[in-house]
Amino acid sequence: MTHYTDMQLDALRELANIGSGNAGTALSAMLGQPVDISVPAAQALPLANAVEAAGDPESPATGVVLPIFGDIDATVVLLFPPEDEATLCTLLGVQPGTEEGHSALGEIGNILGCSYVNSLAEMTGLTIEPRPPETVADMVGAILASVLAVRADSTNLALVMDSRLIVENQECELTFLLLPSLQGIDELLRRLGLA
Amino acid sequence: MASVVSGTELMVRMGELATSAVVGEVLVTIGLGSCVGVALVDARRPIVGLAHVMLPESTGDADGHPVAKFADRGVPALAHAVTALGASRLEAVIVGGAQMFSFGGTDGANIGARNEAAVREQLDRLGIPIRAAATGGRKGRTVRVHVQGARVTVREVAGVEQELYGRGTL
Repeated sequence: MTHYTDMQLDALRELANIGSGNAGTALSAMLGQPVDISVPAAQALPLANAVEAAGDPESPATGVVLPIFGDIDATVVLLFPPEDEATLCTLLGVQPGTEEGHSALGEIGNILGCSYVNSLAEMTGLTIEPRPPETVADMVGAILASVLAVRADSTNLALVMDSRLIVENQECELTFLLLPSLQGIDELLRRLGLA
Repeated sequence: MASVVSGTELMVRMGELATSAVVGEVLVTIGLGSCVGVALVDARRPIVGLAHVMLPESTGDADGHPVAKFADRGVPALAHAVTALGASRLEAVIVGGAQMFSFGGTDGANIGARNEAAVREQLDRLGIPIRAAATGGRKGRTVRVHVQGARVTVREVAGVEQELYGRGTL
């Protein structure tokens, strides 16, 4: 099992902080509302625990999933709980629970994911290319387990970088997860001079 | 087998397996997406087991991976565990193996289907008949395996619990 030092995890947490800060700015511009970022976390977890990192695995959510390729492989996952999804759609002027609402969430996910990833790319000098997002409404655990399974062949460990974006005064919150491959983490750390 | 007990429900998390012969207990796996839940029950007696398989086969060193992570090791391990509890005539119910996303390349896109195929192959090799299945599709599922009556129920997100299998008697 791979281990990371506190210094390495701190550096990854700082990357998550800057990335989600950028994503928060983009969300704030879209909504015309102030957006707060919760203190981000970077944890190396066994897969079974990683599935639970975003809360109750049976709770429903809409997940927007962006595969990231390039110098590092990673997956960005945004999770919108149903009430928060409805609030967000209302703020955007689209009807929640409709095809239009669904595609608006996909577009938000795309914009936030890209601003997050672009800031990582700028800081580390990596060339990173996000692919078009897929949007699914399902149990949080099923979404995360299916994402994690793709890279679970050779390791039982996942590095989870998560943060929460909170739209102030609206009780609207979404979870933002970056799940890099283990090689991707090594590359990130190498670029930061911490490998 | 680090299973967490909550009431009479025993959670079987990704890569884990659990067994029970205690009437009243229920083995539960929440949020199966591409993973497959393999339930083994004794045809006559209240003995059940549940494995939460994540991938078809172990490609390298299996050390450091939970016992039921890979179908090729997990299914035989589960059969062994329920047999050790006294089960003799095994029957299987399988749940999961959905394709929730289309990305992930040629491998990633069909992990669910490959998981199901690998589980079926292992059960066939062990001579264990599959009595019911809720597999494929694009939706996640939660499965519950009740010791009492070998009742197996499935629920999709925001759906109702549906009975997939059961003996109707103890």
